[in-house]
Amino acid sequence: MSGLRLVTVGGMIAYRALFNWTRPALFVGTLFIGPLFQLLFFAYLGRQLRVGDDQFFLVGNAVLTASLACVFGGTMAVANERRFGTLGHVLLSPRSRTAIFWGRVLPYAGNGLLISVFTLTVASLMLGLRIPPAALPGLALAMAAGSLACGFFGLTLGALGLRFRDVFVISNVAVAVLLLLTGVNVPPGDLPQWMVTVGQGLPITHAAEAARMLAAGRGLDAAAPMIGRELLVGAVYAIVAAVLLKFFEAESRRRASLDTL
Amino acid sequence: MLMVGTLMHAKHLSRSPFEIAISLVVPVVQAVLAVYLFRSGGEQDRLLQAAVGAGLMGVWSSVLFGSGGAIQNQRWQGTLEMIMMAPRRPVVVILPLTIATGITGTYSLLATLIWGRVLFGIRLDFAHPYAFPVAAAVCIVALGMFGLLLASTFVLMRNANALANVLEYPVWLVSGMLVPLTVLPTWTGPIAAALPTTWGARALHEATTGGPVWPSVAMCLAISGLCLALGAAALTVVERRARVTATLALA
Repeated sequence: MSGLRLVTVGGMIAYRALFNWTRPALFVGTLFIGPLFQLLFFAYLGRQLRVGDDQFFLVGNAVLTASLACVFGGTMAVANERRFGTLGHVLLSPRSRTAIFWGRVLPYAGNGLLISVFTLTVASLMLGLRIPPAALPGLALAMAAGSLACGFFGLTLGALGLRFRDVFVISNVAVAVLLLLTGVNVPPGDLPQWMVTVGQGLPITHAAEAARMLAAGRGLDAAAPMIGRELLVGAVYAIVAAVLLKFFEAESRRRASLDTL
Repeated sequence: MLMVGTLMHAKHLSRSPFEIAISLVVPVVQAVLAVYLFRSGGEQDRLLQAAVGAGLMGVWSSVLFGSGGAIQNQRWQGTLEMIMMAPRRPVVVILPLTIATGITGTYSLLATLIWGRVLFGIRLDFAHPYAFPVAAAVCIVALGMFGLLLASTFVLMRNANALANVLEYPVWLVSGMLVPLTVLPTWTGPIAAALPTTWGARALHEATTGGPVWPSVAMCLAISGLCLALGAAALTVVERRARVTATLALA
């Protein structure tokens, strides 16, 4: 119970403390309007190039829009502690740092899910995409899995922030790479095999595919294996993040480089 | 002063590993995405256009985040007051900053063209090879002037970068950098026509694929000149307001 409290309550407090927005307008603009335009950009590009139909771009990109909050959020969960000079306090905690940092991913994943739902709803209304109501619970599940996996992916990048000076370079590149390799915008059949293989190990890839299957009316039974794979990818990143955090924490203590910027 | 200031800020930005990495890597990834999308859509003959468009997107990102970040960085460094106290009009001090972000944005354009040539074998056959660098230079200066207008509003905002996050994709979209304006809803037409980025993108695309480059260049310069005038006026008003309310460092 105490561990669960650490993960959930600790995560929420850290989310509120680290979240750097002071006005709702900025929150809405950055996390809702920006991703919505990202989705519209690729939807119109897809329409012009006739690479796929609206469903392909809208559903896939709606799942991907969670990446902004989740990747940067996961990164900020670690990197901002260092930037604000509070990393030492966190690492001095007698509680499990793995639980502390895993807990921090949860609010960002929830945030990512909210963004995905919002962008899909608004974009569907704007561009006239109809999604079967029966598919909605499954879609929410796929989006939640994608957001969670993305959050742990962000945490893995954030863990690198214990070692590297400017981890936001990596986060920016990672977000761009997700656009390319997750098959959200370019059908996997049109990408080189090595890119498809790399994409299989990234978050969003399987969640986007599951969401497309659900939106096409294929049912949760058909999409469940994809959602399972997405959760597996997320679990792997959660473990990698925990290992890296432990390793870099030990390294930074040994080298006395904890707060080196 | 404009020249020296621009050179100094361009050198300053060029020493930032973050700026360089973002200017070089992200546009290249976007160019690869654009090339695969265009190939997937059977538009192999438009790959150069895709590379130019992706590069231009990088220039806009550089100006947008650079203009927002430039003011914020000065604020964090504690040098914003000194800049504003300089015995010069604020526009003369801030404009070099925003033009410098456009200049570092050219790394994006160059990177996408070189990457496209090396990796995808895209032939750099510009329809107007002499007009292209001129159009690119005009576009960069124009975007710098547009950046000044943005920067003047960013002075008053603590979280200017958050506003910049909102403006990236909309301007990519309505300016026709990669998506032709013809596929967008008609109501976006007037917005597109009012943006210097639209005319800059059009000039570069016309220099790449053929078409009347100079009218677009002229329109780009005219609108960006208007942005410069508006930005200069706004900057003066904003500076006075910040002095009166004593919020320059806190805003």
